[in-house]
Amino acid sequence: MASHIVCKVSELPPGERKIVELEGRSIGVFNIKDSYYAIKNVCPHYKVALCEGTVTGMPLPSKVGEFVWGREGEIIRCPWHGWEFDILNGKSIFNPHKCRVATYDVTVEPVHENLEDERVETFNVTVEDGLVVLHI
Amino acid sequence: MSQSTATQAEVKRRTTLAVIDCDVHIQPVSYDEIKAYMRQPFRDMFNLFKGRGIFDNPLGRTTIKGNTPSGGPIGSDPDHLREQLIKPNNIETAILSPWIYADFFSDPDLKAEINSAFNSWVHDKWLNSKVNHDGVFKASITVSHQDPNLAVKEIERWAGHPDFVQVYLDSGSRAPLGQRQFWPIYEACERYGLPLAIHVGTDGLGGNSRFTTGFPNHYVEWLTLVPCNFQAHLVSFLTEGVFERFPGLRMVMLEGGAFWLPGMLCRLDALYKSFRFEIPWVKKLPSLYMKDHIRFGTQPMHRPDNDEHFRYLLEVIDAENIMMFSSDYPHFDTDVASEIFPRNIPDRMKDKIFFENAKAFYNL
Repeated sequence: MASHIVCKVSELPPGERKIVELEGRSIGVFNIKDSYYAIKNVCPHYKVALCEGTVTGMPLPSKVGEFVWGREGEIIRCPWHGWEFDILNGKSIFNPHKCRVATYDVTVEPVHENLEDERVETFNVTVEDGLVVLHI
Repeated sequence: MSQSTATQAEVKRRTTLAVIDCDVHIQPVSYDEIKAYMRQPFRDMFNLFKGRGIFDNPLGRTTIKGNTPSGGPIGSDPDHLREQLIKPNNIETAILSPWIYADFFSDPDLKAEINSAFNSWVHDKWLNSKVNHDGVFKASITVSHQDPNLAVKEIERWAGHPDFVQVYLDSGSRAPLGQRQFWPIYEACERYGLPLAIHVGTDGLGGNSRFTTGFPNHYVEWLTLVPCNFQAHLVSFLTEGVFERFPGLRMVMLEGGAFWLPGMLCRLDALYKSFRFEIPWVKKLPSLYMKDHIRFGTQPMHRPDNDEHFRYLLEVIDAENIMMFSSDYPHFDTDVASEIFPRNIPDRMKDKIFFENAKAFYNL
């Protein structure tokens, strides 16, 4: 497993995403309420750029005739056919057991630890601004 | 096993196979029998039986020709029905329904009165202990969709009678039948443990909504296209969440075909992936509600020339689990149980379609 610095924490505020190309893979990194998640930028449906879709919520499974909006900011809809995916675990909403997109671990690390790792690309950052690091 | 022995075995099997026939039609000797049950002013209003108007069958309403020994049309005499249908086909249970077409009319009170009169007639003529001494006849509580409260009242008249085993709706309607205005009917079905039957009738005619572009010119077109209406109803039931709201509801669709199912359900499942947000109460792929809730009558069974294609079609629609034999006696396209399946159809599938599925569905 390799670790890659994605950006400074300050460059990925809550509600934003960053799409990176690493090791031949396109991956979307998301900041959701100051937690970080990463999913492969490939919709399992037609292999298009899933992470370019709308980040939104969803009507939760409900009683008939009721609409309960929830998961605001945690759902991404593929820009092509609108399939909903849970950014937190990569699972599709319509069939979480069979249809999902790969996820990756993301950590926030202080600058000095990563600077010692040869595999990690480095940025010029200040000490008080952590790094968003993607593990793939 | 030699060829002749195999053939003999097959013949023996056919003659001993018990059958539940889910769609047997009966009619009065004359409509005076029905009018006798009707209150005024409805009795006079029913002077002219409308049938299905411009798309009445050009071959005639009863298409097995002739009369019963008692002088009425085919399907009007219980003893003759036993001789012509029940005995030769080894039918253990026949689910009866008259063809009423009350939904051709626009007046909900008139419709309710017609249905009520027919139900009383069925009860008195067909379910009495003399005629139905062995319990071979089970029957349908016919209601109209237009005023669901009147439909519920009619269901409550008969619910609990051991020989009324389902609630019966004409597939001709003013809106797709899964919509919420009709739910009191389904709530009553669930409450009394009565399955819902939806049967071809006045589709697109009289006071009902069109289901194709405009009017076809011929009966052959109308009847060919009736499955379009069944598709509309099925999609409505699945997307409106009727089976989430009424998890005990079971439904059988009669005479609307079934070989269109794979295309329609694949399309619906595919679109659910994009538009689930519209119908968040649908909690799984819509097709996954089929096996638990919906059955299809076999008639009219359309058989491809290639028997292997036929077997494949039956497998694709999961016929073994969703189909129940229906003859549609005595109409022009009636099916005969021993003839509908070629020899390559597995016995297990036939047993379930001819008997076991209906036995479980109707709790017989």
